[in-house]
Amino acid sequence: MIYVNDLRKEFKKTIKEPGLKGSLKALFKPNNEIITAVDSITFHVPKGEILGFIGPNGAGKSTVIKMLTGILTPTSGTCEINGYIPQKNRQKYVKEIGVVFGQRTQLWWDLALRETYSVLKEIYDVPDAEFKSRMAFLNEVLELDDFISSPVRTLSLGQRMRADIAASLLHNPKVLFLDEPTIGLDVVVKDNIRNAIQKINAEEGTTVILTTHDLADIELLCNRIVMIDKGKKVFDGQISELKREFGQMRDLHFELTHTDDFDKLVYLEDFKVTQDDVEIKNEGASVSVRFNSDKISVEDMLSYTLAKVHVKDINVKDADIEEIIRRLYKREVSIDEV
Amino acid sequence: MKFKKFMRTYRPFTRAGMLESVAYRANFICFLLGEIMSCFIMFFVWKAVFNSTSGQDFMGFSMNDMVVYLFITFLTGYLTYSDGTYAIATEIRDGSIAMRMIKPCSFDMCFLFQELGNKIFNVLVIFTPIVVGVEAYKWVITGSCQFNVVNFLLYVVSLILAYLISFYFNVSYGFMAFYLKNLWGADILKECIVNFLSGATIPLAFMPPFLASVLSFLPFSSLSYTPVMIYMGMYSPFEIVYKMLFQVFWLAVMILISKLVWRHAVKRLCSQGG
Repeated sequence: MIYVNDLRKEFKKTIKEPGLKGSLKALFKPNNEIITAVDSITFHVPKGEILGFIGPNGAGKSTVIKMLTGILTPTSGTCEINGYIPQKNRQKYVKEIGVVFGQRTQLWWDLALRETYSVLKEIYDVPDAEFKSRMAFLNEVLELDDFISSPVRTLSLGQRMRADIAASLLHNPKVLFLDEPTIGLDVVVKDNIRNAIQKINAEEGTTVILTTHDLADIELLCNRIVMIDKGKKVFDGQISELKREFGQMRDLHFELTHTDDFDKLVYLEDFKVTQDDVEIKNEGASVSVRFNSDKISVEDMLSYTLAKVHVKDINVKDADIEEIIRRLYKREVSIDEV
Repeated sequence: MKFKKFMRTYRPFTRAGMLESVAYRANFICFLLGEIMSCFIMFFVWKAVFNSTSGQDFMGFSMNDMVVYLFITFLTGYLTYSDGTYAIATEIRDGSIAMRMIKPCSFDMCFLFQELGNKIFNVLVIFTPIVVGVEAYKWVITGSCQFNVVNFLLYVVSLILAYLISFYFNVSYGFMAFYLKNLWGADILKECIVNFLSGATIPLAFMPPFLASVLSFLPFSSLSYTPVMIYMGMYSPFEIVYKMLFQVFWLAVMILISKLVWRHAVKRLCSQGG
């Protein structure tokens, strides 16, 4: 379905020295530097899969999506989707895909939402009957009815995102690209959107590629994830694999009643673990401990801590996705060094 | 059949353009008032020029000709005006051009049909009053109806050609934003130069003969001067055919340039703003 082979994208960046003098110099004698945003990425997505594409900010996720959707031209390497090369047969290719960029809208700013959909219907050549049943379906999952008569510029972010997702699904695309579809949304809208993605995937067998920073999106939707950092692929596999390897890290935060108590906490010795599994930071009275819950259960950790010291406030949470990526990337580096 | 499919794809853009143009009515009215005012300012300037000359004519133009010239030039300039440069440059600058590239339509056709939709109401509001006004003026001054249907129809054809030249010129120019990133200054510069070179500011006939003949070979005279001269009946039938072929030639050149620039520029697209 989707074959990406050795994909690479370089940008030219003009380096400016600071100040007016630097700007003038850059104007007449630009000092260019080549930045590699995407560095030899290869992956394959079978039909009907929901692939989570993750990585920290600036990792190159959006650049990959833009190349896959035909907006950017790769510096080298190839991508082939549905048998099309996006850059070559753009018009035919985009007819079979749906795209949502969370930070932009594809809706007509000044038109009522309803009008936008009828414009899209004509552009994508959707037959009347299909259009009707599609709209009914999208209305039901995304609850568009409340604002379908309002001009797009008056929609709230959550409404706009739902509207955008509906717009990308109107022509029943074979592949759906979602670049941060849940960015900045509240829990209810997020649920709504995840629901829609799941339903469309189950009913139509739509292949979905999704980038996000929200681990819940990944957990609820994706069969598989590809993780990139600094333009390179660092992980490709099932979500369960990732969780088994890296998802067990928890963060314990607490506020000491007596700052001096900190010395009483000797996790490394008492639990007989290495620094890989427990990492401690403290600043005055506030302490945070990152620990591997495979090695030390949350219960043990809490009871040990509470037995040793008095705390004002305590909480435990999952390490966020960027943390997992960081650990993963660090591991790669250390493997290389050995 | 192909044509039908083509229209089905792009008609919605015209519709969207129409709906957009009525979304900002106050903007349109202000714009129109501003344009009409500047037109009358030009009228009074030229009136002063004619009043201070000794003879009836000024370089082959009577005051009546000048009035017709001014208003028809205004109308032509208004109708052939294309927002392509600004629209494209803005989309390139903020990166929203990406949203156009994920739609199954040709980039320039989307713009063309959207702009046509934007223009429809403006054309209806401005075209008839000016033509009727100018003809009524001529009738009052000369005492007989001077309206020439053939010239008028030829004018309309020439006007459409002029608009398309203007459109593709502006599209090509707008693509420069791929290289310059921000086109505001370059756009102002272009407006000034085009207004002068096309004869919209001063009729080409008033310029030194050498300059006038050079300018008449450039594409800019096709934008405004040619259709206006046809309307005014200043050209012989031979000249009309020649000038229109000239317009067709420049249209072809502009389309070609816009395709070449697009093909080259799109590779450099780096989609600003995430």
